[in-house]
Amino acid sequence: MELTDEQRLIMDGGKGPFLAKCMRWLVEWGEAMGARRLVPVANTHALVTVPGNLVYGAGQKTIDSAMELLRPACQHRVCCHSTTHITFAHEEQYDEIEMPEEQVNAQLEIMDMARDAGFLMTYTCAPYLVGNVPVKGEVCAWTESSAVVYANSILGARTTRHGTESAIAAALVGFVPEFGVLLDENRRATLQVDVTADLQTPTDWGALGYFTGKIAGLEVPVFEGAGQPSQEDAKQLCAALATGGGVTMCHIAGVTPEAATLEQALGGNPPKRRVTFGDSELRDAYSQLRDYEDDVIDTVILGCPHASLQEIAEIALYLKGKRLAEGVKLWVCTAYATRSNADRLGYGKIIRDAGGYVFCDTCPTNSMRVKAHRIVTAGFKQAHYARNMIGAEVVVDNVKACLDAALTGRWSRGR
Amino acid sequence: MGDSIVIKCRGLVKGRAEGEALVANAELSFWGEVDPISGTIIASGHPLEGESLRGKVLVIRSTKGSSATPLVMGLAQREGNAPVAFVNVNIDALAVLGCVVNEIPMVSELERDPFELIETGDRVCVDADNGTITVSKIG
Repeated sequence: MELTDEQRLIMDGGKGPFLAKCMRWLVEWGEAMGARRLVPVANTHALVTVPGNLVYGAGQKTIDSAMELLRPACQHRVCCHSTTHITFAHEEQYDEIEMPEEQVNAQLEIMDMARDAGFLMTYTCAPYLVGNVPVKGEVCAWTESSAVVYANSILGARTTRHGTESAIAAALVGFVPEFGVLLDENRRATLQVDVTADLQTPTDWGALGYFTGKIAGLEVPVFEGAGQPSQEDAKQLCAALATGGGVTMCHIAGVTPEAATLEQALGGNPPKRRVTFGDSELRDAYSQLRDYEDDVIDTVILGCPHASLQEIAEIALYLKGKRLAEGVKLWVCTAYATRSNADRLGYGKIIRDAGGYVFCDTCPTNSMRVKAHRIVTAGFKQAHYARNMIGAEVVVDNVKACLDAALTGRWSRGR
Repeated sequence: MGDSIVIKCRGLVKGRAEGEALVANAELSFWGEVDPISGTIIASGHPLEGESLRGKVLVIRSTKGSSATPLVMGLAQREGNAPVAFVNVNIDALAVLGCVVNEIPMVSELERDPFELIETGDRVCVDADNGTITVSKIG
């Protein structure tokens, strides 16, 4: 790879050993991926937390490993707009879950360091809901596959899928290797999905994403005939596309900034493959994440990816004056910024009065020793991962059905 | 008996390592399908379900999915439970990054089909610096 004088200087240690290591990571990664150069990055989103998943149990080794990266990293300043992905622990304690004290303390230390380095600690998987909204063409280095797909497909920004090490390195040195969807030729769609099913809820858009993610491999899909998505529809589509697959971006014809038409999305070429998403595909996507037909449930998870203020308001207004069924937990997951807003407006209190939690910074598959037997969730992504990571039976259904299950303590198909 | 096969390939992440092969013509997600502390594959229904990654040369089509791949690889490595080398047919950028930051050799673009030539339990030496893997059949 050809480096500029400035990049070479950093690589050779001219700005200290840690930045030299960051530059080496980016160069070695870029060379393996066929990048010819590093380009300036304007926006990053990285994990700045102790990466211990409590489902598995984070120990001192994990904390040490996080600190080995973050202590030297936070001796520097970020070069650009840099927000942070979820945490794995925060200081709030709930009766249902234990946040280990040593991990919480490590998190508090990190928050102090990271603030001074210039990281904006949004602690969310959906940074585009809390102010990090890159513009079309902006080169980003984002972690979180669902947010990567959203940034590329809905906002027209450009980011490959990053890991935390590369996103932090990019934030500190100000460059990323140029490969994948940073280049025009890799953003064109090759897989055409003709949508004939009537998508009525955001979870239906999730079904479309889940179906497509499984067949797309590393291809870029284009959706034709899907109609106009809301922000929440787009969020569910992007999250499900990235679940259990390698999709980095999609086009929604007429919606994606660089896909005014189907032809533009395809770059003037015929699609390499063409599939239909009809009523039977819609039903099949749901049935893949429905482990039971009609049963009592104990846990309802909403806000995957993190809920917007609008979603929280809708949940609160549905629950107002009602009470969850005995023994049912409702977790509404969101960013701290959104929860603060919801609390100010009184929506947080309504949900808590009904017996639910508005849980910020993280989510059940990431940070809880949650004991759940039967989960209902509106997110295909949450259902997919919760099955293995929480070890529970899962059902995916739309938000209204999830809330009805929380209120009655039971979910049955086709209600 | 004692035969060895040399397969040319492209070294993606430099280094040299040797171990027992763990082979599946399948994809694997390090997020959600691997317990990072024990290095055990936990995905129900996966061809490698229940297998340990510890010390193995992981021969799979590719990793998939999550941006947490490098992080999970790092956690497993810290516990001594990560693979010692990756032999992947398709190139997943996150696995490449995980190998770069955790200094695990990785190769791809093999001249011959690894799923025809390598079986779980074979002894495999991965030399990413010279672009070869050497397979010794056991038994």
